[in-house]
Amino acid sequence: MIATFFLLALLQVKVPDAAQFVGQPKGVPLSGQQLEEQTMTISHELRCPVCQGLAIGDSPSIMAANMKAQVRELLERGYTEEQILSYFEKSYGQFVLLKPKFQGVNTLVWILPIAVLAIGFVLVVSKAKKLEVAPAVDATPEEPADDPYLAQVRKMVEKP
Amino acid sequence: MTATFGRFLILASVLVSTTGAFIAYAAGAKRSPEGLKWSQRFAYAFAGLMVIATGVMEYALITHDFSVQYVAHVGSTQVPLWVTIVSLWSSLEGSILFWGFILGIYIAATTWVNRNQHQEYMPFAIGTWLSCGAFFSFLIAGPANPFLSVIPAPLEGPGPNPLLQNHLLMIIHPPMLYLGYVGMTIPFGFAAAALLRGRLGQSFLRPLRASLLLPWVFLTIAIMLGGWWAYEVLGWGGYWAWDPVENASLLPWLTATAALHSAIVMERRGVLKGWTVTLIQASFLLTILGTFMTRSGVFNSVHSFTQSAIGPTILIFLTAVLLFSVILLALRIDSLEAEGRIESAVSREGMFLVNNLFFVVFTFTVLVGTVFPLVVEAVKGKQMSVGRPYFDAMVVPVGTALLFLLGVGPALPWGKTSRKEMLRVLLPPLITGAVVLIIGYVLGVRSAWTLVTLLFGGYAAHVTLAQMWLPLRQRLKKGDAFAPALIDAQLRRGRRRFGGYVVHAGAVIVFVAIAVSSTMRTQQEVTLTRGQSTTFAGYTVTFTGTEERTEPHRQSTIAHFNISKPGGPSGGGTSGGGGGGTLITTMEPRMNQYAAMREPIGTPAVYSTIGRDYYLSIMNLQGDQAGILIINMPMVGWIWGAVLLMGAGGLIALIPARKRTYVVVPESAPTIDDEAIA
Amino acid sequence: MNRTVLIIGIIIVAAIVFVLFAGLGKDPQHIDSPLVGKPAPPFALKAVNTGETIDLESLRGKPVIVNFWATWCVPCYEEHPTLVANARQLPDVQFVGVVFNDTEDKINRFLAERGSAYPTLLDANGKTAIAYGVGGVPETYFINRAGTIVAKYEGPMSTEILQENLAKALR
Repeated sequence: MIATFFLLALLQVKVPDAAQFVGQPKGVPLSGQQLEEQTMTISHELRCPVCQGLAIGDSPSIMAANMKAQVRELLERGYTEEQILSYFEKSYGQFVLLKPKFQGVNTLVWILPIAVLAIGFVLVVSKAKKLEVAPAVDATPEEPADDPYLAQVRKMVEKP
Repeated sequence: MTATFGRFLILASVLVSTTGAFIAYAAGAKRSPEGLKWSQRFAYAFAGLMVIATGVMEYALITHDFSVQYVAHVGSTQVPLWVTIVSLWSSLEGSILFWGFILGIYIAATTWVNRNQHQEYMPFAIGTWLSCGAFFSFLIAGPANPFLSVIPAPLEGPGPNPLLQNHLLMIIHPPMLYLGYVGMTIPFGFAAAALLRGRLGQSFLRPLRASLLLPWVFLTIAIMLGGWWAYEVLGWGGYWAWDPVENASLLPWLTATAALHSAIVMERRGVLKGWTVTLIQASFLLTILGTFMTRSGVFNSVHSFTQSAIGPTILIFLTAVLLFSVILLALRIDSLEAEGRIESAVSREGMFLVNNLFFVVFTFTVLVGTVFPLVVEAVKGKQMSVGRPYFDAMVVPVGTALLFLLGVGPALPWGKTSRKEMLRVLLPPLITGAVVLIIGYVLGVRSAWTLVTLLFGGYAAHVTLAQMWLPLRQRLKKGDAFAPALIDAQLRRGRRRFGGYVVHAGAVIVFVAIAVSSTMRTQQEVTLTRGQSTTFAGYTVTFTGTEERTEPHRQSTIAHFNISKPGGPSGGGTSGGGGGGTLITTMEPRMNQYAAMREPIGTPAVYSTIGRDYYLSIMNLQGDQAGILIINMPMVGWIWGAVLLMGAGGLIALIPARKRTYVVVPESAPTIDDEAIA
Repeated sequence: MNRTVLIIGIIIVAAIVFVLFAGLGKDPQHIDSPLVGKPAPPFALKAVNTGETIDLESLRGKPVIVNFWATWCVPCYEEHPTLVANARQLPDVQFVGVVFNDTEDKINRFLAERGSAYPTLLDANGKTAIAYGVGGVPETYFINRAGTIVAKYEGPMSTEILQENLAKALR
């Protein structure tokens, strides 16, 4: 790692760095088990740009492996999850975030199901109340061929 | 010649189905028995044409007749016979023909089974089915015609997509899926018939429900097979990615399951008829949406066929059926409704309502998540993604709620119950739930979600077994011997009930297995040189070497690993030399480079035992170094088995009840003939 | 006629149909690059065929075409002759190739077999590619004289496509 940096510095090679996109690291550098787990977590929130909908954590493609390595490196340097996601968003677009950001029109995707649950609950309660007070009406009369007595016997014998 | 014959058959089927649909609807409107007979004939004729056309296509495939365009597209003399047979559904045109084939069989079979019954509904049902048949015939005849001629006929073909030749599961997954998807057309026809007739009689509830249950069984198994295939073949160690096409198969399953539940309330209490009919229509409409999503190229998915002219055509059909369903519902739903009442909201009936609420929320969430990127792009021109983190976050609570209902619902009796009685049935299963939770905790479960799942799961298991046991217990009380009582209670008379609880038992296991396999999963990425070992999750993995294999459609590098019990000279961790004790098995994951694909595709190796799966996937192979991903996943195999159990339960519930003979002589009524009553 | 059902139903139908029709005709594989219209991320990488280090910032004043590719990418083979031919014909445009996840040997062998007309840079661990939002290969970026990315094209280019996008950089 250090040797590479040294060599690259010698050759005056420089690659674009996250710092240009998101500034200095705002968090604590990670290592060991915590580093691996966080890498996994964030890798599952970034979308592999070439695969059909897979996360970079799941994709075997080369670009995904590069991106994952980049995630790990940024975590080692102390970048926060938010910064890392922001970095990828700046170069790939919002497309690369698998979890929709809670801002702008995207809030709808989070709110709508909850709204439906709430409205649905109200509807269910009102329907149940309505059914409770409904007058008991005879079930749909059968076709003329059926005799009510036979229907009664049928109901008695057939188990639910 | 073959191509021409095929085209002729398809055109004939367009004619037959369209004419048949008209005749059937007219027969229904006029209540004409003669018209019904003719509708039935047209239904059989449509089926016959579809079957023969499919036979012709299979014949062309097997004889490698490359003058038929579809054969030129997917056929090859280099692939094994089973691949050739299966390539019927491997590509777009053939798969639509296959759809028509299955539809024809379903229509013919249902028509035949009901040939002497339900005369007031059948014509309308046949009319609706044949209308759908007409659409698919039109698709096959027009935008998706596999029978076009290729002149001059080539001598060889490219073979079907190599991904589809990878695994045996690919043989069963599509047919199962079609049997499920296409089968939803049948209850849709029945529902449309009830709406057109303006009534849903008690005697019609059973065929309506049965026609929904059969495709449900197929769809349940098909979805599981899809997940299992992804798990075994794709290499990322997961079985569900919330891919748009996966979601497309789940949506109709959710509404169909909801409909099966509300149908029970419908049969018991005569309420919720309009709602059940709506759910049945939704299930069919979602299958059409699903087929649109797969074939239109609109969605970014592993499953997507390429964009073609077929997309807009399906969308037009979808719009038409949507409008048909909405208008029919609006016109007739009131004539179906309000025939009964429930005694209390806090009862089994009430729980069914809540169950439906959660299924609808589940469906809505998956649908919104899937189409949201499309909406945003259409409205704002920006691209965004809705992926697994979203779905997992939103769906897990809903699923957990459903598991809760799985326990509490069947525990509550029908109708009004006293508070004391309610506590009597609701509290004891809590003990079982707590026991299961404690066992899980002792075994190492720490995730809150999994612990809750174990609690609810144990509760539901207790309730399910208690309910299964109930009819048997009643019989034993009466004094019957055990074995005959068991068979009689569960398998001869109480099949619907017993089958339902078998499904529930399977479902409980599925919930628990999903939670456990997701949260107790551990993995390790490691690079081994040849001869090196590493120990992980109770096994020692030794890299023994690689092997190159060239096949006509792909170049594979196979890596060989020995799996043994740890405990050689150099205990745990990564070690040099041949570490490990007794050899248990070998695993051979591979990297495949297909000529047609840009990136290589890995095939993992999976070692399954009862308790867990040991999963090996190659990340990269360079010379003597293998970078691998080892995943340990407890209880994954249980998911596949438990879903099969669910399917079995559904099939048990489908076996029709024996016809009975009664003699009734009421005192004050006119005499009734001795008659066999269905 | 149940009005509620009708109204709710029509709304749902309209929504679904609108969404799906809007989706037709779009290529779900194509991703819009957020970098179009923004300054090109600077980099300085070693050219494998000439040995010098090329710094992007030093190229300002000329339109630059940055083509990301690799020797393991099959469509790149088809695209290469187009790029070489155009590079020779357009001396006022700076062509730059960037290769990632590859070795110098393989690249040099490739260029020896197929010709080269411009520097090919090695991006050893793909970080430049990530900064540019590269998903697969080949992908090409068109940068104008002021150093702003004006266009991105995914996939192998023909001369027409190249000229079309280059026109945007020359404005």
